[in-house]
Amino acid sequence: MGGMDTRGRYHVHWGAPETYGERREESALRRSGRTVPDPAYRPFAAVDLAAVDAVLEEFDHDPGRMLEILEATQAAYGYLPIATLKRISNLTGAWYAMIYGTASYYAHLRFEPPTATVQAAAMDAHRPSEATYLASLEAALGGAADHPAPRTQA
Amino acid sequence: MSDLLTTPADWPAILLGRAGAADPTDLDEATRAGAFDGLRRAIRDLGATGTIATVGASGLRGRGGAGFPAGEKWRMAATTEAPRRYVVANGYGADPAAGTDRFLMEADPFSVVEGAAIAAFASGATEAIIAVRSEATEAIRCLEAAIAAAEDAGFLGFDVLGSGHDLNVSVRGVHGAYMLGEETVLLKALEGKRGQPEQRPPYPAERGLHGMPTVVSNVQTLAAVPWIVRHGAAAFEATGRPGNAGTILVRLRTPGGSGIVEVPLGTPLREVVALGGKLPKGRSIKAVLIGGPSGGLLPPELLDTPYDFESLRAAGAHVGSGSLVVADDRACVVDLARLLTRFCAGEACGKTIPCRIGTRRLVEIADRVAEGRPRPTDPTLLADLSADIVASALCDHERLTTLPLASGMRYFRSELDEHLLHSSCPAGVCHPIAMVAAAIPYGRP
Repeated sequence: MGGMDTRGRYHVHWGAPETYGERREESALRRSGRTVPDPAYRPFAAVDLAAVDAVLEEFDHDPGRMLEILEATQAAYGYLPIATLKRISNLTGAWYAMIYGTASYYAHLRFEPPTATVQAAAMDAHRPSEATYLASLEAALGGAADHPAPRTQA
Repeated sequence: MSDLLTTPADWPAILLGRAGAADPTDLDEATRAGAFDGLRRAIRDLGATGTIATVGASGLRGRGGAGFPAGEKWRMAATTEAPRRYVVANGYGADPAAGTDRFLMEADPFSVVEGAAIAAFASGATEAIIAVRSEATEAIRCLEAAIAAAEDAGFLGFDVLGSGHDLNVSVRGVHGAYMLGEETVLLKALEGKRGQPEQRPPYPAERGLHGMPTVVSNVQTLAAVPWIVRHGAAAFEATGRPGNAGTILVRLRTPGGSGIVEVPLGTPLREVVALGGKLPKGRSIKAVLIGGPSGGLLPPELLDTPYDFESLRAAGAHVGSGSLVVADDRACVVDLARLLTRFCAGEACGKTIPCRIGTRRLVEIADRVAEGRPRPTDPTLLADLSADIVASALCDHERLTTLPLASGMRYFRSELDEHLLHSSCPAGVCHPIAMVAAAIPYGRP
């Protein structure tokens, strides 16, 4: 394998062809360390970052209070826009991956604007899986669970 | 607030002795009933070392399920060199069907606050955090009001009771994951991190919150401390049974009724179950689920088992969340075990392979059995997989996830065999319940 340079000189290419850009398929580009366009990528929506800046100010930009920062951000925007997570990462110094990992772990944090169903579920005292568990437990017990107490203390 | 069941007159009321006050946040009324006498005695008479010795001698064990000796934990935190220490009161109450911790914090917030203050004084901590479910707004309100009143009276804050010891107590609402009931997971949440357990040792008493020695105790454990300091270790040890001193809150659910009851450790299950009232006519007890979603299913023949840490472990259950559910003969044990395993697998954090994959395989086996399409190797596979998970698990959640199915196999083998060999459910409920149980997603919604 070989190729011509810009001055018309021929060079023998030693090594893998993707190193010299002779292969353009995605796997070859990845192996050569070049950036590869991701067709699934959607640019995240820009949001007004004033609210998240105020939240960060309130919590003193302390990454040790990340959960509270994320909860306050969600309270401000209704959800956690990606732009706010990147802003939090920039201003607190916490890795974006750590922030995303934290946000994706807790069931009450969400990355999409809430639908009517989610809003209704959020009003419930229990998380959805817990509510389903309690209903299932009651059904499995044949209606045994949560009867009123037979007698209460005076 | 859940209903409190009546208990026999000779049962001690250590945790709920002040429950039923018109205003649980009224400090004057609480101090007249003995609140903060324990803190006063710890500071003025016993000192930090004496307080630890008293709690150690009382035999108080953690009420969060593991039953670790509280005095030992405090001693470990106090003797670990560190610039600062913390006390974390675990009031998360992960089991959605229990609610005992929440009940205690609403009924007598001062006992929890005073217990945390004594633990902080004894272990040398200057900050105590009471972690509560964010949804438990009433409990948070009660605790915050109690803390504010105690600070105004000089029981908390700067130079507590003239001891020279400063103590800041705060309430932190956490929510979003079942696993937050586990102590290292709770500490991660308090640090603002993803809630996954850590390998122990080092224990949190050596390296916990922000890398500092941290006493993590259930709120019930801390609420018993003022009583111990006030009445002495011997009085506490005299309640319950040897090695299992004191009382514990139990959320009882039976077909006859349900409520919360304070039970001396070592009480036979039969006496506890009887507090729930009579079963409906023509019904009989089929199984007792003890310990919450990851609890064990015991048959009625074991109702004489004492309700304590070792006896329940030996029988194949555990104290766990303090939940005790009685299933009558309408329930199918296989389906119940499947439901519990499915919930536990869905709530697992997935940090380790036994947790991430093993628990899901358990659910698949249970699904096959309950849905009448078992494989001949399923019982062996279930036993082997359970043993592997228990042997290689990182935290108790994954270890205990195996309990519902394991105890079901141990005590209800004939019912399981009916499912395995004849694809039939003796209780006749598997298929309808299967549809309901299948609605619980594996992952969090």
